[in-house]
Amino acid sequence: MGDSQYSFSLTTFSPSGKLVQIEHALTAVGSGQTSLGIKASNGVVIATEKKLPSILVDETSVQKIQSLTPNIGVVYSGMGPDSRVLIRKSRKQAEQYYRLYKEPIPVTQLVRETATVMQEFTQSGGVRPFGVSLLVAGFDDKGPQLYQVDPSGSYFSWKASAMGKNVSNAKTFLEKRYTDDMELDDAVHTAILTLKEGFEGQISSKNIEIGVIGSDKIFKVLTPSEIDDYLQEVE
Amino acid sequence: MSELAGTIPGKGGFSFDLCKRNDMLASKGLKPPSFLKTGTTIVGLIFQDGVILGADTRATEGPIVADKNCEKIHYMAPNIYCCGAGTAADTEAVTDMVSSQLKLHRYHTGRESRVVTALTLLKSHLFSYQGHVSAALVLGGVDVTGPHLHTIYPHGSTDTLPFATMGSGSLAAMAIFESKYCEGLTRDEGVKLVAEAICSGIFNDLGSGSNVDICVITKGKQEYLRNYLLPNPRTYVSEKGYTFSKKTEVLFTKITPLRELVEVIEVGDAMEE
Repeated sequence: MGDSQYSFSLTTFSPSGKLVQIEHALTAVGSGQTSLGIKASNGVVIATEKKLPSILVDETSVQKIQSLTPNIGVVYSGMGPDSRVLIRKSRKQAEQYYRLYKEPIPVTQLVRETATVMQEFTQSGGVRPFGVSLLVAGFDDKGPQLYQVDPSGSYFSWKASAMGKNVSNAKTFLEKRYTDDMELDDAVHTAILTLKEGFEGQISSKNIEIGVIGSDKIFKVLTPSEIDDYLQEVE
Repeated sequence: MSELAGTIPGKGGFSFDLCKRNDMLASKGLKPPSFLKTGTTIVGLIFQDGVILGADTRATEGPIVADKNCEKIHYMAPNIYCCGAGTAADTEAVTDMVSSQLKLHRYHTGRESRVVTALTLLKSHLFSYQGHVSAALVLGGVDVTGPHLHTIYPHGSTDTLPFATMGSGSLAAMAIFESKYCEGLTRDEGVKLVAEAICSGIFNDLGSGSNVDICVITKGKQEYLRNYLLPNPRTYVSEKGYTFSKKTEVLFTKITPLRELVEVIEVGDAMEE
């Protein structure tokens, strides 16, 4: 195919008008662990599988869901190390915004700045695109918000979204189950059920992670015992 | 000219060229600029459960009181506060910047900030500006290793002390501390002692005045007692109030808007073809 001749260099368009490296980055995301997010009427929930490479790994040392500011959290699908770099940059940008304007950064601004970083890596020499897609969940003056940011640097606001391995099944499930007036607790249940859909093995509080932000505008990652409570309600 | 005398270091390092110029000017009779007095009294002490910081609230511009009730106790972290004496802009900017750095550090490590971290960030910054950032700070807080109190001087040197005072009123406040401080004070005794020391600075030093601010930091809790004492109230206010006699009658009022509102009515086929 003509495209393959153009797939090695990031900064060269292929004849069909695509940047093939970005397509490959999206494939990397698509083979990552499933993660999803749901926007409820009074909050946002994000969740992900936490499949560790071996039972010998200390699962308490791994945390995939991180907070960027007290009221914005993020989860990723794809290459973990790439997400670490982005999270670090985003935290710094949020802090610089606060230093300059003495206002906590609005969710849209932070998403835009993160997306700008990701886009820069698609138009520079000697670098490769990030192999992650991020789901950013936040609650500010405009209410609860959920954004997805792709390796190309494009971002969209979603009512509910999924990424990673099981994306098509998860999205179909979410489309059926999502309602506009869902509350945060219902959203958490729906998130768990969606994760369960494509889950290999037994789902438990040790192999999933859930982060929520409610009307108190504080993002927190649920503890394993809190996840257990929700899991019991779902069973 | 020997090679060593006028060599500029390859990369970075301090260039002493201007020091030679200053010496030359001084020998010709030019007086160097005098030091600006830091009009403030700030204190800190360690008591049995943690740290108490205190400050007055007067900001001066030479002989004029610029702000009668300013805040000199700055937030650094939930468990660390810093009093600042010297140029107000310098203390605010430096504490703001280090507070920001501490916040990012907390995100990256997932742990509570330590007082020594704040101390090191502040002193390295001040040292690299060779004393031109005129900020004399009293830094206090409680972290996992216990309560800590430090003083930081504008050139970047630090002291670790059980009780400390800084600013132009420091001698007045230190006199109180030296006579009445002992280890193992309770919270109430500590607050009373700090308030006394600040009051001593307020009444005996021209550069300090107005009210007393206190901040009590203990493990897991901090209380910011803004205007804990108001020993300088305005007691004489005219009861009759101030009135000005009416001189001009209003005969006629007309309001003309500066901008006219224009309504745009869209006509369907306006821009076709």
